[in-house]
Amino acid sequence: MEPLSIGILAAILVIILLGTGMPVAFGLGLVSIVFLVLFEGVDSLSVVADTFFAGIAEFSLVSIPMFIVMGAAVASSPAGKDLFEALDRWLTRVPGGLIISNIGACSVFAALSGSSPATCAAIGKMGIPEMQKRGYPDSLATGSIAAGGTLGILIPPSVTMIVYGISTETSIGRLFLAGVFPGLMLTALFMAWAIYYAWRNGFDFRAKIGAFTWKQKFEILPRVLPFLTIIVGILFVLYGGVATPSEAAGVGALFCLILVAVIYKIVHPKKIWAIMSDSTRESVMILMIIGSSALFAYTLSSLFVTQSIAEYIAGLEVNRWALMAMINLFLLVAGFFLPPVAVIVMTAPILLPIILNAGFDPYWFAVILTINMEIGLITPPVGLNLYVINGIAPEISLPTILKGALPFMLCMVVGIVILCVFPEIATWLPTQVMGQEQ
Amino acid sequence: MTFFIKSIQSMSKFCGVLAALLVSAAILVDCQMVVMRYFLNMSTVWQTEFVTYSIVAATFLGSPYVLLIKGHVNVDLLPHYLSALPKKILAIFASLLALVFCFVLAWQSYNFFYEALEGGWLTDTIWELPLWIPYLPMFVGTALLCLQYVADILCIAFNFEYLSILAAPQQEGE
Repeated sequence: MEPLSIGILAAILVIILLGTGMPVAFGLGLVSIVFLVLFEGVDSLSVVADTFFAGIAEFSLVSIPMFIVMGAAVASSPAGKDLFEALDRWLTRVPGGLIISNIGACSVFAALSGSSPATCAAIGKMGIPEMQKRGYPDSLATGSIAAGGTLGILIPPSVTMIVYGISTETSIGRLFLAGVFPGLMLTALFMAWAIYYAWRNGFDFRAKIGAFTWKQKFEILPRVLPFLTIIVGILFVLYGGVATPSEAAGVGALFCLILVAVIYKIVHPKKIWAIMSDSTRESVMILMIIGSSALFAYTLSSLFVTQSIAEYIAGLEVNRWALMAMINLFLLVAGFFLPPVAVIVMTAPILLPIILNAGFDPYWFAVILTINMEIGLITPPVGLNLYVINGIAPEISLPTILKGALPFMLCMVVGIVILCVFPEIATWLPTQVMGQEQ
Repeated sequence: MTFFIKSIQSMSKFCGVLAALLVSAAILVDCQMVVMRYFLNMSTVWQTEFVTYSIVAATFLGSPYVLLIKGHVNVDLLPHYLSALPKKILAIFASLLALVFCFVLAWQSYNFFYEALEGGWLTDTIWELPLWIPYLPMFVGTALLCLQYVADILCIAFNFEYLSILAAPQQEGE
């Protein structure tokens, strides 16, 4: 059978199997063993354990559970609430300050926790009621938090970027840097839309402004600054070439555990246990998907599927931007149904040769891919953030949340277009800090 | 049968605890390594491998526990729209398919482990760790994963779902 037909068959089988509701990790694994047995015989199964094991036994992957522990520690504490309050107290005189505080708190918390649902829950619990109290429409209050939460996978340190780095063998340090300015750009776009929307609806920004004294402004800082120091510290350590991501992540995790113990008195063994078991659950889920996708990638490549797809697309000689538009559409649809990590491990090894062939930068593409995944987080049917918000603000209906989130999705599409026109937004910082890539 | 299901669930929970302990150990050793390397300027021998294999072991040992608490991410769009009986049949079918893969993985892991033990394979580092040590948790974890799937299928087929609901941890504050 032609490698290309095998590829199409594999894609169909993946869709059918995942459609039954079986876990993504085992679905991918099953497709791999079916194809190995069909095309290379039962003996070829001897690679299964080796490939799966090797897919996980990688020192750079260690950073994933460590960053997850770091995020879980922060998420278990009221740090999100304090962050929000700190920004609110300092920005209270700025028009639309509350919205800026919300989205800003989301982006900072997202960087710390690296998790979109955790960000939505942490900032939303405080931010949504506060916005409602001060008269912002429900749709805007929930939509801005849902969208702000998605920034977690773009702003470093980001677990999805680590996964992309490992599955495409690109530098994780560079990927983190590539996400910085696009992350800030999206944050700014979100803020701009939120303020414009509130202004157009005749919202009086001067109404119900709470005044804060300087004492109130300063007394909250000691609870917020240590966490900010950790993020800056991690980034500094990474780019000073002092330590690898896995080392920085381990130290970050330990520091965050210590900080929540010191600042928020989270010392009870039961609470520490909750942090550890929560993060173990999440990292097991992610690493199992990574292991089985290593098997999946091995199978496709040993049957020459990966290579044939790349060759086929190169042979089409379509315009590179038309190609990029197609890839975006494909990623967007995949993101509607699958969680970001699953999409990245399944598609990145296949897409990367195509991208490089068409002359695109792999770091720039990582950012584009991630923004596509962010859109998937706030669109049904899987849109995790929508359900998290629905959980913390049950009185607001899902359609209202969706209506609020829709314009932010368009902001992300605009962001992708801006990045296509000015790829330097993603590529400038990595080149400045780490030099040209060899 | 209740006894069988409950014993499997207890084993899965026990392995879940082990997995969380392994992650904790990995964090501590990771930090110890950073101190050794960057503050004391000493070379490290075993830490990198220890940390990597702890996380691998945590992944495989934690996997049955994660299955027990329904933490392996899936696409539940189709089941969502089905009525009770077709939903049940589809769930059993999906679990059986997943079991096939887990069985192959467990079987191959055993071969892999056995070869490493017989052949006296070592890691190609100064530490020279016998390779059967990191391979063992893969076999134990995936074998228990199969048993947990059997327990899950029994639960769905004979309406013992209350057992898996009891097993799931209580979510705080949600």
